[in-house]
Amino acid sequence: MRAATLPALPWTTFDDVRSPCPEQRVESTGAVQEPAAASVAERKRALEDLLRARRLQAEAPPLRGEDRRRQPLATGIAELDALLAGGFPRGEQSEIHGPASSGRTGVLLALLARTTGMGALAALVDPLDRLDPASAAAAGVDLARLLWLRGPRGSGEEPPLKTLAQATGAVATLAGAGLFDVVALDLAGADHERRRLPGSTWLRLQRVVENTATALVTLADGHVACSPGGRALALEPLELRFSGPPGPACLLKALRARARAGRHGLRTAELVLAAV
Amino acid sequence: MFGGLHAPRALPDAGALVALARSFTPRVEAHGPTPVLLDLSGLGRLWPTPHALGQALLDAAAARAIEAQAALAFTRETALVVACACPGLHVVPAGGEAAALAPLPLALLDATAEQQELFARWGLRTIGDLARLPPAALAARLGPEGPRLVHRARGEDAGAFVNAPLPERFETTLELDWPVEGLEPLAFLLTRVLEPLTAALAARGAKAAALAVELGLSDATTHARSLHPAAPSGDARTWRTLVLLDLELHPPRDAIVRVTLRASPTPARAAQFSLLDPALPSPERLAETLARLHDWTASGRCGSPQLVDTHRPGAFAVSSFAPGPLPRGRPEAARPAPRVALRAYRPPRLAHVLTKAGAPSFVGAPGVRGAVTAAAGPWRVSGDWWDSAFSREEWDVSLAGGIALRVFLDRLRGCWYVEGELD
Repeated sequence: MRAATLPALPWTTFDDVRSPCPEQRVESTGAVQEPAAASVAERKRALEDLLRARRLQAEAPPLRGEDRRRQPLATGIAELDALLAGGFPRGEQSEIHGPASSGRTGVLLALLARTTGMGALAALVDPLDRLDPASAAAAGVDLARLLWLRGPRGSGEEPPLKTLAQATGAVATLAGAGLFDVVALDLAGADHERRRLPGSTWLRLQRVVENTATALVTLADGHVACSPGGRALALEPLELRFSGPPGPACLLKALRARARAGRHGLRTAELVLAAV
Repeated sequence: MFGGLHAPRALPDAGALVALARSFTPRVEAHGPTPVLLDLSGLGRLWPTPHALGQALLDAAAARAIEAQAALAFTRETALVVACACPGLHVVPAGGEAAALAPLPLALLDATAEQQELFARWGLRTIGDLARLPPAALAARLGPEGPRLVHRARGEDAGAFVNAPLPERFETTLELDWPVEGLEPLAFLLTRVLEPLTAALAARGAKAAALAVELGLSDATTHARSLHPAAPSGDARTWRTLVLLDLELHPPRDAIVRVTLRASPTPARAAQFSLLDPALPSPERLAETLARLHDWTASGRCGSPQLVDTHRPGAFAVSSFAPGPLPRGRPEAARPAPRVALRAYRPPRLAHVLTKAGAPSFVGAPGVRGAVTAAAGPWRVSGDWWDSAFSREEWDVSLAGGIALRVFLDRLRGCWYVEGELD
C-alpha cells in the first residue's frame, strides 16, 4: 500500500494551524489516520508561538481580551511618533493645533488610518462639517470603522455656540462609551466660538476620558486643552512644494511643516505630507 | 373523535386556521398553516351530533372569512386526508375509514416524491390500491416506510398526537396604584417590568428585536412608542436606557398609571469568535451609544462616510455605523504615506478671483483673502451631462498668508468657488 505525505507548511497564519498536520498520512484508500500525540503537541506549540508573535506586533489587531491601555496610539509618521514618545496616549486628552495648511488634518487622518487599520474604531466629531471622505480614504482610513458626526449644513464658516456645545457633549458620550480607540474633535476654524465655551468643558472631557482606553484628540487653530499626561502637538507650515514652475503641468507635490511637541515646544521635527 | 380542517385557498394569516381550531379545543395538531387536526374528545356535550359539530366548525370558519373544508373521523389520518380531499363537511363512521379513503388519489398520502413515482410505476392510483398490498411485501421493498404507508392508507393511526405549542407573548403590564410623573421614578418601575420580560426571553434562548412601550396616562389616553435598536438585545439595563432616552425626547403628556412592554422575540445571535481577530463592539453598547447621540442620528448627521462610484468632486454618502470584521488576508504593508487632506467648505464658498495669464493671481472669499504666490493647475473635471452636469477647472493655490486652497471655476456658471483648505 502506497502512503503519501502532505507537504510541510510554514506556521504563518491561523488558517495554517487549522490545516491538516504535516504528519498526517493519507492512505491510498483516502482514509486519514488520527494525528499522533506528538503532532497535537506541535500544533499547540505552533499556536502559542503564533500568539506570542502577534502579541509582539504592535500593529497587529488587539487580541480578544488583550489590554492595550498603556500602549499609545501611533500616527504612523515616524518623525512624529518619535517626537510624541510613541504616539497619543490613551486615557488622556491630547491636541493637534496649528494654523491653516500646517498639515494638522493630514496628521489627524494618519492617526485615524493607523487606528482603523488595526481593526479598532474611531470617531470624529466634526461640527464644521469639514471632513472630505475622499481625502480620508486616500490617507488609508477604513471608513466603515469611522463614526462621523457632522455639524449642521451651513455651519461651515463659524458654527453657533450651540453646535459646539452639542459637539463637546457628543465627545463626552463617545469617550465614555469605551467603544472607540480614538475620539477626535475638529475645532479648527472655530477659534472664536470655541473661546466662548465654558472652561470647565475641557476639564469635564478630561475626567470622562481618564481610565479609559480612548485617546481624545482635539484639532484646533491654537492651544485648547491638554491633560497632564496628554500630548500637545503644534504644527507650523514651512513651505508648499510644487512639481515645477507655474504652468499647465505643475502639481502641488508636498507640504512641509515643523512639529513641536510638549507644552513649551522644546522638541521639534520636520514632516512632509505628500499631495500626489 | 378527531376533526380535520383544511383551507384550499390562501389564508389571510398563517395562523388563522390554528386560531380557529383553538377556539374549539386546546388540543390542536398543526401541519403548517393548513391542514390542522382537532382532538374533539368531550365536545359531544356541546354539540349532540358529529354533523352539528362539523357544521359549527365550518360556520366559525365562514365567520372569519376562511373558506374551509372539514372531516370528522375516529382516526387522525382519516380526518386529515378526507378533509384535504373533499370539499364541504364529511363525517366518516366508525369502521368506515378504509372505505372512505379507498377512492381518494394516492397523492394525498404523505409519501415522498420517489415513493409516489414508484407507486405510479407499480400501477397504484388510489389509496385503496395501496391499502390492499401486504405490509410485509412492502417492507421488503421500501423498508419500514412501506408498512407505515399501508397502515395510513387503511386509516390506521401511527405515532402520537403532537399538540401545537401555544404562541408565546412576551408582554408585561404593571398597573400603578398612583400616577407617576417624571422619568426618574419611572426608571425604577421599568426595571421591575423589564427584568421578568428579559428573563422570559432568556429562558427561551431569545432576545428582543423591538420593544413596544405603552404608557397608560391619567387622562385615559395611551402614549405608545416603539423602539427598534440596531441589534437585538436581551439586557434589561440596555432596554431601560433606550426607553428612558426615547421618553426624554418624546415625553408623555400626563402622569403615568400603567406601563405595558411588549417584546418582539428573535433568536439569540450566534457569534463565532476568532482567536486572532479584534473584538467587535458589543451591539448593545453600540445601540445605546447611538441612542444617546439622538440629536445627531435623528437628523442624519451621524454615520460612516462612504465613497460613491462617480467622478463628481466631493460626492459621498453616509451610511449607518455598523463595523464588520476585518477582511482576512489584508496586506499589512498597504498603508499609504501621510497625505495632505482637503478641509472641505460645504457648500463651496463663492470667490472673487483675479486672473493673470489664465491663472489665479488673487483670491477673495469669506474667511480667506490674499494674493496668489503659487498655483498648480488647471485640472478640468466634467461629467454627468445626462443628469445634472458639472464642468470645472480646479487650481491648487498658495496665498500670501501661507494658506493653501483648492479653488475652481465653474465653467457652466462662470463663477469661481473655494472648495476648501489643503491641510
